[in-house]
Amino acid sequence: MRIRSGQDIATGLLFLAFGLAAYWIGADYPMGSPQRPGTGVLPRILAWCLMGTGAILCAKAFLADGTALTRWAWRPVIMTTLATIAFALTVDNLGLVVSMLLSMTLCALGTPETRWREYAIFCVLMVALGVGMFIWGLRMPIPVWPVSLPGALSWN
Amino acid sequence: MQRRDFLTLAGATLAAGFSSKASAQAQGWPERTVKVILPYAPGGATDAIGRPWADKLSQAFGQQFVIENRGGASGMIGVEAASKSAPDGYTLLLTPNAPLAVLPSLRKTPYDPIKSFDPVGRVGDVINGFVIHPSVGVKTFQEMVEYAKKNPGKLTFGSSGNGTSTHLRLEMLKYKTGIDILHIPYRGGADTLNDVLPGTVHMMNEPVSLPHAKAGKLILLNVNSQVRHPDFPDIPTLTELGITGADVPIWFSIFAPAGTPKDIIAKLNAKMQEIARTDDMKAKLIAVNAVAPLQSPENMAKHLLEDIKANAELINAASIKIE
Amino acid sequence: MELGSLFSNLSLGFSVAVSLQNLFWCLMGAVIGTAVGVLPGVGPTATMALLLPATYFLPPEGALIMLAGIYYGAQYGGSTTAILVNLPGEASSVVTTLDGYQMARQGRAGPALAIAALGSFFAGCVATIAIVLAAPPLTRLAQQFAPADYFSLMVLGLVFAVVLARGSVIKAFGMIFLGMLLGLVGTDVNTGNTRFTFGISDLFDGIGFVPLVMGVFGIAEIMANLTNPQRRDLVDAKVSGLLPTKEDIMRSIAPVLRGTFLGGLLGILPGGGAVLASFSAYTVEKRLSKTPEKFGTGMIEGVAAPESANNAAAQTSFIPMLTLGIPSNAVMAMMIGGMMIHGIIPGPQVMEQKPGLFWGMIVSMWIGNLMLVVLNLPLIGIWVRMLLVPYRLLAVAILFFCCIGVYSLNNSANEVLIIALFGVIGYLLMKLECEPAPLLLGFLLGPMMEVYMRRAMLLSRGDPWVFLQRPLSLTFLAIAVVLLLFVILPNVRRARETAFQE
Repeated sequence: MRIRSGQDIATGLLFLAFGLAAYWIGADYPMGSPQRPGTGVLPRILAWCLMGTGAILCAKAFLADGTALTRWAWRPVIMTTLATIAFALTVDNLGLVVSMLLSMTLCALGTPETRWREYAIFCVLMVALGVGMFIWGLRMPIPVWPVSLPGALSWN
Repeated sequence: MQRRDFLTLAGATLAAGFSSKASAQAQGWPERTVKVILPYAPGGATDAIGRPWADKLSQAFGQQFVIENRGGASGMIGVEAASKSAPDGYTLLLTPNAPLAVLPSLRKTPYDPIKSFDPVGRVGDVINGFVIHPSVGVKTFQEMVEYAKKNPGKLTFGSSGNGTSTHLRLEMLKYKTGIDILHIPYRGGADTLNDVLPGTVHMMNEPVSLPHAKAGKLILLNVNSQVRHPDFPDIPTLTELGITGADVPIWFSIFAPAGTPKDIIAKLNAKMQEIARTDDMKAKLIAVNAVAPLQSPENMAKHLLEDIKANAELINAASIKIE
Repeated sequence: MELGSLFSNLSLGFSVAVSLQNLFWCLMGAVIGTAVGVLPGVGPTATMALLLPATYFLPPEGALIMLAGIYYGAQYGGSTTAILVNLPGEASSVVTTLDGYQMARQGRAGPALAIAALGSFFAGCVATIAIVLAAPPLTRLAQQFAPADYFSLMVLGLVFAVVLARGSVIKAFGMIFLGMLLGLVGTDVNTGNTRFTFGISDLFDGIGFVPLVMGVFGIAEIMANLTNPQRRDLVDAKVSGLLPTKEDIMRSIAPVLRGTFLGGLLGILPGGGAVLASFSAYTVEKRLSKTPEKFGTGMIEGVAAPESANNAAAQTSFIPMLTLGIPSNAVMAMMIGGMMIHGIIPGPQVMEQKPGLFWGMIVSMWIGNLMLVVLNLPLIGIWVRMLLVPYRLLAVAILFFCCIGVYSLNNSANEVLIIALFGVIGYLLMKLECEPAPLLLGFLLGPMMEVYMRRAMLLSRGDPWVFLQRPLSLTFLAIAVVLLLFVILPNVRRARETAFQE
């Protein structure tokens, strides 16, 4: 038996994995009674449904032709993820300006198309826009500069 | 002078130096914006009571008291954030009693209701009671009790969630009167009202139901407090009905992170009591079905302890669990 | 109500709403709402939450009018990003991405945005009239719904989600189940137990809708587009015409009418009907169309109907709030908060005690809709120009807005981490050609469905037949079964044919 659709088998396995995880994590949730269906009822039903769907897809992968798997573009995926994480980790401590610079630059590194001079100008504009809109305009309680500096918290 | 005496004297001088610095702090407080954390999403009952207070305090002190809504997990997230804030008098917590007086008895909370906070002052006690849909056919509290005794499990009551103050009020009612009412948890007062208005569910106990009681769509049976509601002068309190100690009060107050200078707390408490005495504030509070009692921080600490104890006993007796 | 009192009420409303002050607040609200709503991730709820304290300083009518303006503005803005960059600003704009974004890729963003704006305006007018004429009977209609009926309605909604799917039906089912499981993460409302939270208190209230959408739609799109020019560049490099063609308009008339009707009805259900509005309308159009397989490739009907539906629902969702004081969603809850700040307790007496406020608000809703069309149509040109910004810069901007949008909801950096996670998951799903829309719909409907199921079972004392005994519930379930068969049978037949060929 040949795998005739890489995509189907991958999706099928993914569903099986998620379904199994859901079942396993939710195994201890109380089931309750018919009058008071418990916390675990729907998770278990869904876990079974998901696993069933996964199984069907796996079967389909052997029985019918389908699409093959395509390659992943690692660079944008990793850089974008890092950019987002960087923002999350630095915005509270290092302030909006630093976290914006960091995350935007990481994202720009994710594509070879970035032209750095153009990016630098754009960056400055974005930071100005960001601070203007969110701190001054919407008065969000986000520190603008690294918190160790005095007066970091408010812009007014 | 002996070395030990010298050290004691030095220590005392230093301590005096620090405390005078502290009271110097209180004299200047507040010198900038004060953040008031409300552990619920905007638009709820806490907002309705909290925002007039924030406004009045801003006017009284000449500095902005800004509300920050940090909702989630039945108030736990906001309360946790407040507990971890710097105790410098520039972060306060305005909350109903539930996250501090009820929640820790039901689950493990990332804060200790006594140790993590210093009480500051009372902001408002909610006055409301059990309402019932007219389709049941009963008009007074006693009739409801009789009906429930004759038809055990037939009446239904909607609470704002498992383990919330409204749920506890139901359990207390059942406990003290021996009747059996089916509990249906909802997600907040408005959600409950949605099913009570058409009569799908019979009873509830939330301030949102009061405008409808005024309009005659629902019948108010009693009030869960020591005083009658001024808009409903004929409706008795539970104590008047002979059921004592059954109020399960819902009260809002301001707390500060533990370690906040006592002078700041005293200053704030004094101002709060002053505001609470004004007619304008009283009118604003009654409009949201609340009354603000005047209480010192020490008495408030005692009140909290009693409340925690009473709720814990009820939770035990009625076997309320988060399974 | 008789015509006489109708006119007097309306003229009272106009006199309140058309004061220079209140018009200004309406305009302010509309402008701010649009500006903020266009930012991906910062939807109406977040915008109103941020600006609610500011309205404290305004007089009550002004404050509420401005809040309403912000609400619509943000809704319009959310549709704009859905069409332009495949980022829905709100639950109701998710469906708009299906065909709207495809139209944008074909250089037809202008017509898509225009039809969305015009359809929404029409729906808004009709809905306002409905509120004026029929608020009390509509409220009574909504009160007929018991938990069992809501449950069946949600089930129907989930079946709609299957019908929506463009590609493989099996994968759509999988996405729905997965979405429902993700929706269950958090505290179980009925018991207070936590599910799938691993003890992280940020997850106690579940995964936020906005972080999920930002991750799966926004971040994943950036990942997919950054090094793949074919995927993102306009199929037709030239942006053809900003205005809808005559054909566009003719094709949109019926969908707009149907969408308005459907959305208007669903919006009055306080239990969450408005969410269903846009994708019920889409599903209906797909079912009625002569070319259902083209849906998802840029059919104008797929934009016109959902946009009208969700605007109609947005308006009629004011009804339970205005007549009973019951908010149908978070936005209404905030409006109630706004009213309470000004000492107005919403409920049955507001109509009698403060008729100026009540009718003034209703009239200004219509004015707000008008203002938004006037504001947005010229802006279409600007938005479309924005698409011509080179993607290497656009992506960076989108990333930033996603992050700040999510952060601003709860001042929580942890939620930004969630979008990183869902970005990766979203990319994975994209690579496997699993569509995100059914995932999101499962996410929204699953928990609601569960709540209603359990409540219905509690009330019926454990009797499952209640779902078939109530007429409304039975009707919805019947429609669901029929639709499901329509969708599954062709697939089964195809599978058997393939099997026979082997």
